[in-house]
Amino acid sequence: MDRLFRRRVEARFADRFTGPVRQRHDETEIRIGPADVPDVLRTLHDDPELRFTYLSDLAGVDTGVVMQVVYHLWSDVTPDWLRVIADGLPRDDPRVPSVTFLWKGAEWMEREAYDMFGITFEGNRDLRRIYMPPDYTSFPLRKDFYLADDAARSPGGGVRPMEQPHTPQEATVATALRRIRS
Amino acid sequence: MALDPETANLGTGAADATQMPSDQPGNRPGALVTREPSDVVAPIVVPNTLWQSSDPNAYNGGQPTDVTHLRELEASGAGRRDDARWSGMLEVIPTKADYVLDLIRANSLWPLLSGLACCAIEMMSAATSKNDMDRWGMFPFRASPRQADVLIVAGTLTTKMAGPLVRLWEQMPEPKWCVAMGDCTCSGGRYKRSYSTVEGIDRVMPVDVYVPGCPPRPEGLIYGMMKLQQIIKDRRGHWPDRAIGPTVPEGV
Amino acid sequence: MTATAGRQSADDPRVTLDEQVGVFEPVPPYPPRTEREAEFYTLGDGEMFINMGPQHPSTHGVLRVVLKLDGEKVVDLDPVLGYLHRGVEKLCENADYHQTISQVDPLEYVSSLFNEWSPVMAYEKLLDVEVPRRAEYIRVLSGELNRIASHALFMGWMALDLGGLTPILWSFIERDEIVEMLAALTGQRMLFNYFRIGGVNGDLNHDFMSRLGDWMTRAAEQIDASLGLLNSNEIFVRRMRDLGTIDSQTALRMCMTGPNLRATGLPFDIRRAHPYSIYPELDFDIPTRNEGDCLARYLLRIDEIKQSLRIIDQCLHRMPDGPIIAKLPRLLRPRPGRAYAAVEGPRGQYSVYAISDGTDQPFRLRIHDPSFIHLQSVGLLMPGHLIADTMAVMASLDPIMGGVDK
Repeated sequence: MDRLFRRRVEARFADRFTGPVRQRHDETEIRIGPADVPDVLRTLHDDPELRFTYLSDLAGVDTGVVMQVVYHLWSDVTPDWLRVIADGLPRDDPRVPSVTFLWKGAEWMEREAYDMFGITFEGNRDLRRIYMPPDYTSFPLRKDFYLADDAARSPGGGVRPMEQPHTPQEATVATALRRIRS
Repeated sequence: MALDPETANLGTGAADATQMPSDQPGNRPGALVTREPSDVVAPIVVPNTLWQSSDPNAYNGGQPTDVTHLRELEASGAGRRDDARWSGMLEVIPTKADYVLDLIRANSLWPLLSGLACCAIEMMSAATSKNDMDRWGMFPFRASPRQADVLIVAGTLTTKMAGPLVRLWEQMPEPKWCVAMGDCTCSGGRYKRSYSTVEGIDRVMPVDVYVPGCPPRPEGLIYGMMKLQQIIKDRRGHWPDRAIGPTVPEGV
Repeated sequence: MTATAGRQSADDPRVTLDEQVGVFEPVPPYPPRTEREAEFYTLGDGEMFINMGPQHPSTHGVLRVVLKLDGEKVVDLDPVLGYLHRGVEKLCENADYHQTISQVDPLEYVSSLFNEWSPVMAYEKLLDVEVPRRAEYIRVLSGELNRIASHALFMGWMALDLGGLTPILWSFIERDEIVEMLAALTGQRMLFNYFRIGGVNGDLNHDFMSRLGDWMTRAAEQIDASLGLLNSNEIFVRRMRDLGTIDSQTALRMCMTGPNLRATGLPFDIRRAHPYSIYPELDFDIPTRNEGDCLARYLLRIDEIKQSLRIIDQCLHRMPDGPIIAKLPRLLRPRPGRAYAAVEGPRGQYSVYAISDGTDQPFRLRIHDPSFIHLQSVGLLMPGHLIADTMAVMASLDPIMGGVDK
């Protein structure tokens, strides 16, 4: 937990933050809006006093309410990991500028976030599906994509026999009625 | 503490031989009774009280399935009869030449390199020096399906890979066999709930031997291959009457 | 994607197979949707596509690479992934914290303990659990053993992809010994499921220690013997020298980690850059090489084996007594929060970003895998080389498709 670093980063980017700077264990977390992503990350990358040249991870997150893109960076100026959360992406059309101009290696990580969540990275030259077949229409890691045996808990699912609950604890009135009627 | 004959050698008391380290000479753990080679090993049958299939005809209708132990097969002498045995339509009358051909096929099964995931490492381990599959003629892992006899599917089959794998299977010339190695290929394994895996390769291709395990030990795969050899010799050349996926009950 | 009319299966005439369009031709049957796709799938003069399909003799797993060739030279290549995508992240969202440990094992199946180490560290950060020192030492000990096993396998595969059939047999002998040792410790040869939140599953036992002691007396000579087979082999060295050279700035831009980054000259190792566990107390060097070619990556991994032996030796000498797991309730409900944990695996930085929402299942478990990142660089390194060098470059980057495809 590097308090000095926290003060530096608050002083530097205070106008861009959409939430408080949090620190826990060995991580420092900042939240910005999706439009600020290129500027903030470019500053973090290029500034000789910050030197965050190492992109460790690029993840998409679906909180159920909004979508987020989370970047983890490392620099030799601080012993903490820096987590940059681009927060507040709408769930129906999430768009974020791409960071492939800084790190070419982020291209596939952004492809994966697109494949799993549907987040469009503007500026990524190769935004196609990476894991699922190219004609797949859903985005698997979204919270409204249910696995087959969770479909019984979803509003419209539970039709196939595999989706029917087998144990008494799982069975609800709704699924019992559906089974009786079908 | 008195040493009853029943409780002796169960780890109780000072005179118990199992307290000694296992590398001491002459120490045989008494609680494990090793059988003499001439005994027929009786399978341990655990009745299924946890789950019932909704289809009463599934899983052989609740009847016991065929003989599954190699030793029982040997003991019953079923593998030694050289008259014809078949279970379907009589398409071909096997002769002694077929028996020899089956021996030849069984003892030089050439696997196709179809390692998909973690089980592939154990398959390679079974093929390399310590557990050598070359002893049974299975050394050359052919890269081309046209030259291979047996498809050992080792690793999870995903929906994207199912097409190429079935194509590989179809490109293999007859006679060909298929071994499902690992839990993921037998039934979907730990990925049964996943959105992108095929729950068992017997949904897409006929399987001869299932080798369960995650991953199965190389000795387990070798046991499966020896079982396959037994099946080849047992079939008397009558291998084409396999169907795809009969073990999956209706509606699942 | 419409399917054409089905044809009968040759195996079983009762079965009709529908054609899967677009799986078997190198060029996808739809117009290109991205710039890169358009640029790649446009053939220049005298070029052709070859599909190095999901099943091929290179043993890295199911990777499909579409090569754009000008004769024998590779002009460009496009890896197609997803043939082993098992949906681990989604399954982990529907499993308990303890169950996710066994779910993430098969990702980089050759080095399973590192796959477990990272989420376990993340959960320990979420729960504010302190791991007993003996457990940390056992983790480091078994982890370094797994690293040696993984690098031994890399040596064998490197040679196998270049055509040598003997070194893989020697590698597997090495690996079998180590893996039997780990089986005596953890119960499993490969997907160990050994680390627990707060410690490890079982203590060191007599079988493991006797095998380990026995192996340690022979390990250095065995490795040197394997090296003697390969390092002075002119074919091996000349094929790998100056092939697939990366410089350190490009490697950082491609987000490479691990031995691939250290072979370019940057001494970046998570064990020293962002220390975790008891690595600050251990004395080991970070091997680095400057050339950045395949030979440098190969030799670097050999150096790492030697450093791992040093670490194992120190662990054995300093092993403290004590509990091997912290006391935790069986039903774990960490307070809502986020945690990130990275470990240095044999392929690079393996890290996990865990989000907890207060229930007994993780809300999101994001797994960052080094093989996935390194495979991007193949397209950068290949143009101008021959097809046979594709395998050499891919083998030297050491990808494991289980980790690439998750």
